[in-house]
Amino acid sequence: MNKGQKRDWVKIILDNFIWLILTVLFTYFAVNVPNFTSKTNLLNILLHASVLGVLTIGQAIVLMTGNFDLSAEGMVSLSTILAMWLMIEPGSVVGTAQGSGLMLNPYLVIFIILILGTLSGYIIGVLITRLNMNGFIVTLAAQLVLRGVAMIVSNGQIMTGSPKAFNWLGGAKIYGIPVSVIVTLLLFVGVNYMLNQSKFGRELRAVGANPDAAQASGFNPKRTITLAYTIGGFLAAFAGWMLLGRLETAVSSLGSGMTLETVAASVIGGVSLKGGIGSVGGAFAGVLLLSLIDNALNLMSVDSFWVESVRGFIILLALLIEAQKFRYKPKVVHEKEPAVASDCK
Amino acid sequence: MNTTEKVMERTPILSVEGVSKAFPGVQALTSVDFCVMDGEIHGLVGKNGAGKSTLMAILMGILEPNEGTIIIGDQQFHAMSPKEAIEKGIAYVPQHVAMMDSLTVAENILAGELPKTKSGFVNWKKVNSEAKERLDRLGLEMDVTKKVEGLGVAEQTMLAIAKALFGDAKLIILDEPTASLSRTDINRLFAFVKSLKDKGGSFIYISHHLEEVFEICDRVTVLRDGHIVGTADVAEIDVPKLIVMMVGEDVEDYTRESTCEDETVMVLNGLERRGYYENINLELHKGEIIGLTGLQGCGVEQLGKGLFGLEPRGIGEIILADKKFTAVRPIESFNQGLAYLPQDRYRYGLVGLRSVRENVTYPILNKLVRLMNLINGKEEKIIVNKYIGELDIKTPSQEQPARLLSGGNQQKVVFAKLASTQPSVLVLHEPTQGVDVRAKMDIFRIIDAMAAQGVAIIIISTEIRELIGVCDRILVMNDGRLTSEFKKGEKDMTPEKILAAIEGGKINE
Repeated sequence: MNKGQKRDWVKIILDNFIWLILTVLFTYFAVNVPNFTSKTNLLNILLHASVLGVLTIGQAIVLMTGNFDLSAEGMVSLSTILAMWLMIEPGSVVGTAQGSGLMLNPYLVIFIILILGTLSGYIIGVLITRLNMNGFIVTLAAQLVLRGVAMIVSNGQIMTGSPKAFNWLGGAKIYGIPVSVIVTLLLFVGVNYMLNQSKFGRELRAVGANPDAAQASGFNPKRTITLAYTIGGFLAAFAGWMLLGRLETAVSSLGSGMTLETVAASVIGGVSLKGGIGSVGGAFAGVLLLSLIDNALNLMSVDSFWVESVRGFIILLALLIEAQKFRYKPKVVHEKEPAVASDCK
Repeated sequence: MNTTEKVMERTPILSVEGVSKAFPGVQALTSVDFCVMDGEIHGLVGKNGAGKSTLMAILMGILEPNEGTIIIGDQQFHAMSPKEAIEKGIAYVPQHVAMMDSLTVAENILAGELPKTKSGFVNWKKVNSEAKERLDRLGLEMDVTKKVEGLGVAEQTMLAIAKALFGDAKLIILDEPTASLSRTDINRLFAFVKSLKDKGGSFIYISHHLEEVFEICDRVTVLRDGHIVGTADVAEIDVPKLIVMMVGEDVEDYTRESTCEDETVMVLNGLERRGYYENINLELHKGEIIGLTGLQGCGVEQLGKGLFGLEPRGIGEIILADKKFTAVRPIESFNQGLAYLPQDRYRYGLVGLRSVRENVTYPILNKLVRLMNLINGKEEKIIVNKYIGELDIKTPSQEQPARLLSGGNQQKVVFAKLASTQPSVLVLHEPTQGVDVRAKMDIFRIIDAMAAQGVAIIIISTEIRELIGVCDRILVMNDGRLTSEFKKGEKDMTPEKILAAIEGGKINE
């Protein structure tokens, strides 16, 4: 019994290892990096974590079904550019790209880009599940297409000057705390709770762990995977809205490289690349870890040439731990069966 | 071994001593002793899941045994790598031969050692003549310029055997080589294999077709549930004796009182799916247990999956509990009162990474969800606890990942999942496969208890003895048609008669 309890502890620690690393790192930085714990800096970390966080929620949901979504950053790019194009005046600033001159109401624009994201996610899901196309390639192609359209619309130029109503999500503050941070935190808590308690969360993980058995248990894996991509598409557009609000400037290269960061954050947070295991809450810890490291390296004025490789090493380290976790099996406690009673001479 | 005549000596070319292999939840092989003599064709028979594939995988170096030794010639191994196995002269010829289909026979034979001209180009003339010469030495006539994809299955198999011999194979494993061959092709293949044997070749011959074993093998070894039942000279044994060895007599049989009532639960009317089954008419009563059996590929498997909605069902009418059964997806089948236990527990039965609790309630989540699709956790735990108790599932907790349970307990979790939907009809496909003897009895008790509650049960299985023990009726399917029926209490219901019906088609008239 005593032994059993010990093993449970091992499991609990392993399951929450990421939070442990996070605490240790945070303490280390707090002691060694000046200004690290200042309110501005902490908010900076969270601000950095917000757009990445929203994208990571979508990525984690898709990963749980055993699939990849490489298209999200393309959606970030297109949604910001399109929003600008619909909202700003033609040629409002010299040397920048032309708006369409439609000057649409910002709220309508928000609605349009969210619908666009949802629809694009849905189409990707349908291509993958109904037409049996490879998810990795489909979403890679989708990323190129989305960013390509963004380039065409923006003519490759910077678009600037988004209206205030649009910027509220990304730029406004409540009691000194950025709205985007609050919204991201609420999203994480809400989605994490939903996915751990709802039928859809069960379905996601069952389909990811074993689509055949999930189907034989009464689920519809194709529908589940399509839905996961649809949610991912919606969240990508949402992240675009948030990012544009913060920057008030859009350029088609926005979001480049974020896809891999979302995958890294998810995996660091314990979401299995093979699907079926992990939670959005864990992925949030991964997002915090990445943001924390970025911020600290920045404050310590580490040579920017080094930053990338240091981040790479930390991701590798987290993966290493993740891989070892799966090897740990609590000893099976069942009846002592004779090692198959011999039923023949 | 090449073609040089060898004196037929009775020396073992390969022997295996005390080999055991366990997978999570399943003991696949238990201290197996097995020996192939030089220059013999050694038959290996056993039902699905008896351990044949595991044993062969160990011989080929794909799997490492937990214990035991492999002796080849005068060398001893605990385990080999696939490369070592090939170097030691063990070759495997699968049912579906994998070769470079779009290349010619000659290219396949000489792959990697194509003769070159002085200028470094392939000398095609020499390729073809050399290949032809090699085949001639084995007495195999074949157009070497033909592409492999244009060859028949029998030729491909023979070519694969020949290729293995050119690679200095000393022992060739033939895995179900005749499964998709016509009788004439079988004759040609057998003639070829026998001629090679006369030249000193050794073979392990795996087959489900017992007559073929008698036709071609010198000795035969029977595997059952991971144990070697025995090895015999084919001259000293006959088909019925071999069947008894395969199905086993010494296992305690489960017997039960019939719980069959008069009330009809399900009626199948003229069910037909082209290419799989046709004209299936069946009436199923409350509490009745029906066995469905037949050779692999006869259509019972598709019928089971079709009923549940995992595969297309074809045409025909099904009445379940006085209502038309219209389900085309598993979830609809569950809702309309039909549940199905898949044969492959790891692939279709369980989501191994997830917990016992989640696995049990997957099909009934719709009944457990409350506001906003949130699951009522308390109610769920109570339900799962009830089934863990009722089915006696040995698990440390509800949260244990299903993959970590033993095979028998995993199967019980699948049963709990099906029982939770409270079905009126239960279709079970090989419910005792991959579980040990004790758990088998538990599973029969569960089936029995469910029948006693009035559930009508169809068991699709090749375990004839088990079917005889539990079923009220056994139906035999041949080429997609139900050809014979055996009823409990009639003296015809014996393993021999049923097996004859399975192999031979109609005999009951």
